[in-house]
Amino acid sequence: MSTLDHRADAIDDYVASLAAALHGPARAKARLIEEMRDGLVDTVAAHTREGMSHQGAVREAVREFGSPDELAPSCQRELTIAQTRHTARALVLTAPFLIACWYLIWTADHGQGRWPADAAQLVAVHLAGVAAVAALFATVALAATGTLARRLRTPHRLPLVVAWTGTAASVAIVITTLALAATSPLATSWPLVTLAGALTVGSHAVVAASARACRRCARLPIGTPSSPGHPVDAS
Amino acid sequence: MRADAVRGHLDGLLLAVLEPGPLHGYAIIAAVQRRSEGVLELRTGTIYPALNRLERLGLLRSSWQSVGERRRRCYELTDAGRRGLAAERTAWREFTTAIGSVLDPAPAPRPAT
Repeated sequence: MSTLDHRADAIDDYVASLAAALHGPARAKARLIEEMRDGLVDTVAAHTREGMSHQGAVREAVREFGSPDELAPSCQRELTIAQTRHTARALVLTAPFLIACWYLIWTADHGQGRWPADAAQLVAVHLAGVAAVAALFATVALAATGTLARRLRTPHRLPLVVAWTGTAASVAIVITTLALAATSPLATSWPLVTLAGALTVGSHAVVAASARACRRCARLPIGTPSSPGHPVDAS
Repeated sequence: MRADAVRGHLDGLLLAVLEPGPLHGYAIIAAVQRRSEGVLELRTGTIYPALNRLERLGLLRSSWQSVGERRRRCYELTDAGRRGLAAERTAWREFTTAIGSVLDPAPAPRPAT
């Protein structure tokens, strides 16, 4: 095996070890890992130009860079917030469409949009409320982890709360549609029910998967931000 | 300077080295080390999540650019980032002035005889 192969193997091992320790949205994780790999390769190249052997350059680059165990918490912090924002965005994008669709079914069933009377539709109304509140909370979470985070410290438990909000909303989405479909005259409003069914399946798949990933990220240890207690004032 | 002391000022350091223009990750590391003449102890891998965080906060923006033969993610300051850097500088000057006046007080004037 050539020296170059040894160097590549050592960097690949480092990157694989870091990648195995991190969890988050695939695109965000891939981008972070790719950038860090580039940085490590550049550091090794700089030390090689200074006259170090390849093995020595890799050892020195890893010492300067920090081991995967040292870097994982600060990387995971960003990926956990990225996953939290992913879950919140999924809720914000899907819930309003579903709620509009459910409303159309109610009005189709009840002519003038009268308040549903039977138990199943009452359950549907309450669960639609859960989905609406979840979407509002997700909007707040997106703001709190975006530019507002310059001024406000991001609550430590926000990822976990968003994860369980997404889980609750994904369950509410399914039950609401089932309750409405069960009490809706399919013969008269089947296009709406079919549309609601398709939206429900898609929304449930996206929100539930994202919420599950968010629960996993929220359980992992994370580092503190680089400037704790000193949010940058950029007003 | 110890790594934990540097970490509290990492945002300001990154914003400062990006002030002249866009840089990719390793160039940012090299600029911090060059400006500090190697005095700052910094786990250089920590700058990557820090850059992600500053971009999320809207203080930086990034794009893929060709640097040499490779494609690199380059970062540059936004308008909010420039204002943030000015605020970091002001806060740092106030801090060093206050600590300096305690550690190294000006000699008290002699009483008139």
